[in-house]
Amino acid sequence: MLSVGFRALFRRELLRFIRRPKNTFMPPAITNVLYFAVFGLILGGRIDEPVEGIGYILFLVPGLVVLGTISNAFENASFSIFHGRWNEYIHETLTSPLSYAEMVVAYVGASAVRGLIVGVIIAVIGRLFVPISIEHGLFLVATMIVIASLFAGFGIIGGLVARDFDDLTVMNQFILRPLVFFGAVFYSLEMFDQAWQVQVSLLNPMVYMVDSVRYGLLGHSDMISVAPTAYAEFAPYVSLGILTLLTVVVIAVDVYLFKVGYGLTD
Amino acid sequence: MPPAIETTDLVKEYGDLRALQELSLTVEEGEFFGLLGPNGAGKTTFINTLVGLVRKTGGDARVFGHDVEDDYRQARDAIGLAPQEFNVDRFFPIREVLEHKAGYHGVPEDEAAERADEVLKRVGIYDKRNERFDWLSGGMKRRLLLARALVTDPDLLILDEPTAGVDVQLRHDLWDLVTELNEEGTTILLTTHYIEEAERLCDRVAIMNEGRKVTVATPDDLKTRGTDTISVRLESQISAGATADLETDLGAYAHEVTTSAAGESLEVRVDDGGSTAPQLLNDLEAMGYEIVDLEISRTSLEEIFVDLTRSEDRTVTRSSASSADDGAEENGEKKRDVEREREQEGVA
Repeated sequence: MLSVGFRALFRRELLRFIRRPKNTFMPPAITNVLYFAVFGLILGGRIDEPVEGIGYILFLVPGLVVLGTISNAFENASFSIFHGRWNEYIHETLTSPLSYAEMVVAYVGASAVRGLIVGVIIAVIGRLFVPISIEHGLFLVATMIVIASLFAGFGIIGGLVARDFDDLTVMNQFILRPLVFFGAVFYSLEMFDQAWQVQVSLLNPMVYMVDSVRYGLLGHSDMISVAPTAYAEFAPYVSLGILTLLTVVVIAVDVYLFKVGYGLTD
Repeated sequence: MPPAIETTDLVKEYGDLRALQELSLTVEEGEFFGLLGPNGAGKTTFINTLVGLVRKTGGDARVFGHDVEDDYRQARDAIGLAPQEFNVDRFFPIREVLEHKAGYHGVPEDEAAERADEVLKRVGIYDKRNERFDWLSGGMKRRLLLARALVTDPDLLILDEPTAGVDVQLRHDLWDLVTELNEEGTTILLTTHYIEEAERLCDRVAIMNEGRKVTVATPDDLKTRGTDTISVRLESQISAGATADLETDLGAYAHEVTTSAAGESLEVRVDDGGSTAPQLLNDLEAMGYEIVDLEISRTSLEEIFVDLTRSEDRTVTRSSASSADDGAEENGEKKRDVEREREQEGVA
């Protein structure tokens, strides 16, 4: 898989966003400073601990890390594919002897890296506002890689499906963000007093992602309290397993779309 | 060794429009092959089918024996394409664009950098190596497309109208360069609107029209298929009534006879001016005309091209193809306008 061609495309994709920090890393950094300042410092002091022993500003960190990671992974992949289609320079890749799997994994991998870098930047910003100690390091790393790759994979589909730049905005603003905001970023499922509210929330895949990262970072998982008692303690691992499977499926769909030339060839 | 390009009954349909109609074509290794045809003839569709930018609807296409779909990696590795459109990565200086392209073709990083410098020097824009594509002039952009096609050291170089809109000097530079490459063993497929270009460069040319192959021949062979015109100036005038008789009296070799308004000269259209002229002189003298002067005009390849691509149903198909081209052009313009706006908004 790590052929010279693959490495060349992966490197090209990395350089594209690394050389433009003003466009790629500064905006999420500034946005998250505002989030932590307003929701954490100004409002957070007036909000009770959503979970016992975890202050609101600390509780926010995993959700904001997930929000930044997945939206940047998605945005990078969708922009890279769509911009390449729009200006037709994606032909440089398509007319090369790279396999379709190599092309997809290079695009997904580089976009996931951008998402992960943004996630780390947000965690560092959070650390400036509140002390953070990582509870389950390996689990956290695995989860972050999976969700960054998953949304990079979705970004590829978005970039192939989009017909103009507005379509990309619509995907990000009207699909991704509502799911994230109702994905327990700013609240805990334990705060609901109605069972149906929890049940509806569990239909949102973001809940599992945010919860998994929160478990990795803070050691708290809502899933443990809402899952059936028999496997409650394994709930975060089940979430990670399902997310991993979903990521593989999405990347397989990406490869298929490249193979049939969806949005890429006439 | 299999042919550089071999297609059999190649078909491409866009809904009701058949862009390629059972196209069978063979380009031998080492050939300099030209594709001629009017807009909408299917030349670019044919090329894009070979490189994987267009999915064929039917038939077979092979590059050096590799099926363009089943063995797409081998087929694409053999091809260097300089397209009509400026489809170049805008994010990087052109030297890096070339390094990336070489990398995609499996050229290691160090060697890719060397090759990038080498091809930039070869096409004469090495001093612009740190510029981005958008800052190059039109001619330099054309040169870069050629450099990008060459950086992978292809066995088959495909040039899709490489000299469209370029100045005379650049056109001659490009001609010299591709001739040199062909002499070094690279197979070249060239599409062009310039008949002179095909005549000057190509070993053989295929004339396409409406997705079909009209004919394949050497430029010299093609020229023999046209008619010549013998212009004759006479000592005495021909009466108006005698013109109609002339066509009958001169026999089958004279396809068309026209006389000047003053009646002192006539033009006779024949298949082969050189061999027919003596007979025409004899016949005219036998009819009592005295010949003052005679001149033979050979058919240009351009005239033959126009003859071959002219057909009854062309009006309908060409006009729709032309509308499609216009539409694509218009969309391209719109895209560029929106793109400029986006560039101002920033980069995601």
